[in-house]
Amino acid sequence: MKKVFEIALGIVTSIGGFLEAGSVATSAQAGAGFRFQLLWSVALGTLALVFLVEMAGRLSAVSGTTLAGAMRARLGFPLFVLPLVTVSLVAWLVLATELGGVSVALELASGVSHRVWAIPVVVVGWLLLWRGTFGVIEKGVSLLGLVTVAFVVAAVRLHPAWGAVAHGFVPTRPTTNGAHYWYLAVNILGATIAPYLLYFYSAGAVEDGWDEGHLGVNRAVAAIGMCFGGALSCAVMIAAGVALSPRGGRVDSYAQIVPTLTSVFGHWGLVLFVLSLGIACLGAALEVALSLAYLMAQGFGWNWSENAKPRDASRFALVYTVAMLLAVIPVVAGVDVLKLTNLSMAFTALSLPFAIGPMLILMNDDDYVGAHRNGVVSNTVVMLTIAAAFVLAAVSIPLVIVGG
Amino acid sequence: MELGRDVLDKLLVDRQRRPMGRVDGLVLVCPPDEPPRVTAIECGAGTLGARLPRWLGWAVARLARRFGARGGAPYRIEWSRVSRIGHREIEIDVDGPRSGALATERWLRDHVVARIPGA
Repeated sequence: MKKVFEIALGIVTSIGGFLEAGSVATSAQAGAGFRFQLLWSVALGTLALVFLVEMAGRLSAVSGTTLAGAMRARLGFPLFVLPLVTVSLVAWLVLATELGGVSVALELASGVSHRVWAIPVVVVGWLLLWRGTFGVIEKGVSLLGLVTVAFVVAAVRLHPAWGAVAHGFVPTRPTTNGAHYWYLAVNILGATIAPYLLYFYSAGAVEDGWDEGHLGVNRAVAAIGMCFGGALSCAVMIAAGVALSPRGGRVDSYAQIVPTLTSVFGHWGLVLFVLSLGIACLGAALEVALSLAYLMAQGFGWNWSENAKPRDASRFALVYTVAMLLAVIPVVAGVDVLKLTNLSMAFTALSLPFAIGPMLILMNDDDYVGAHRNGVVSNTVVMLTIAAAFVLAAVSIPLVIVGG
Repeated sequence: MELGRDVLDKLLVDRQRRPMGRVDGLVLVCPPDEPPRVTAIECGAGTLGARLPRWLGWAVARLARRFGARGGAPYRIEWSRVSRIGHREIEIDVDGPRSGALATERWLRDHVVARIPGA
């Protein structure tokens, strides 16, 4: 009974915590520009994510150590610097994006500029980290995030052509606007396979004292939770494919995504959109900031726990504090939040081999996972996906920067 | 036991199993006509910097000298203090929170974190 409850709670929090600025924006852009044609990239990213989340949980349950700690011990410091630096830089970009997402949601609700909202947003987010516990952040914010299920209701009630939807899960080449198509595919892969999530999940498993008895729970939560989460991203794309596609095909701001919900729910659509974007981005911001603190603290052997008081883990608490401060700068400075979103997601895709490659080494090391080491299928799926994401990102980022 | 695999970069814990850093470096003495011997464990940014490519290590060492505890000098733990080499951690027979290994943690707690309300 306890196991069933653990699985249910894990799945529900995975669903509520799945969407964030990147997945909402990139799915909506894809729907507006290419209707359902990019659904395959959400599916591919979700498949890789299912395997990766399962791996992160399995590593911690079997070895009793965190992902970052195991990376440092197994790779040695000189190689550990590679994931440390790439993940930190990308986490800064993503954190800025999520803080921007919350601020934009508040701007949509109030008319006051998101640059002004960024200050109270970062203060409230930081206070939740400073005073909150792991349970409040992981479970509380994720449960509120269930409001994002509104996108599924919208997608169904917009009566998409389901045949065309099914067709979107098979990769096809675009007839026009190829560079934009592949850039969005990269963005979606980056938004779906968020490496910070793995550090967060692994630290949570250790924080909750997982052992080999949790492998079943882990597998169920990873598979079911992430698939339902991926379905939310698909729903955003389907709703945008119906509601936004006739309006010209390009999304240049978050405000233009609002019709995905208002076309179905009327005035309440705006309320639901503001709540969905605001809560999803706030949850993601807290997760990213904490992941960065976990990465540093575990990599350097500092005391860490989101359940400890800041004074008992002072370096850990200072990492997320400084991260929040540095990340709010671009938002206050007035960087276009949607452009920042696309850039962060593309760079996330580019960082995947460095962030995830070391994890694959650990998952095939008897010393860490023993009999529970990876099979051929999970190794292959993850390696091919991150390689594809990296190559597509390396090709498309220069194209987009040159072409605007 | 292999030093590189079993000792270097492992988590250090004190006698109550509280984390106190990682094995950032090892001190070996090589007496003539005798096999080399490990005499101490080193912790600190300067030690870490020395393991990086030269340009990067130089920057880390400079920052450590400027801002680090003890002017960037590493914290040394005599090998005789090692009480257990575990599978995931190395236990040291000291009181972690009072040791030099946590000097930076203490300084930041007293001068920064404790001054912020709610800490």
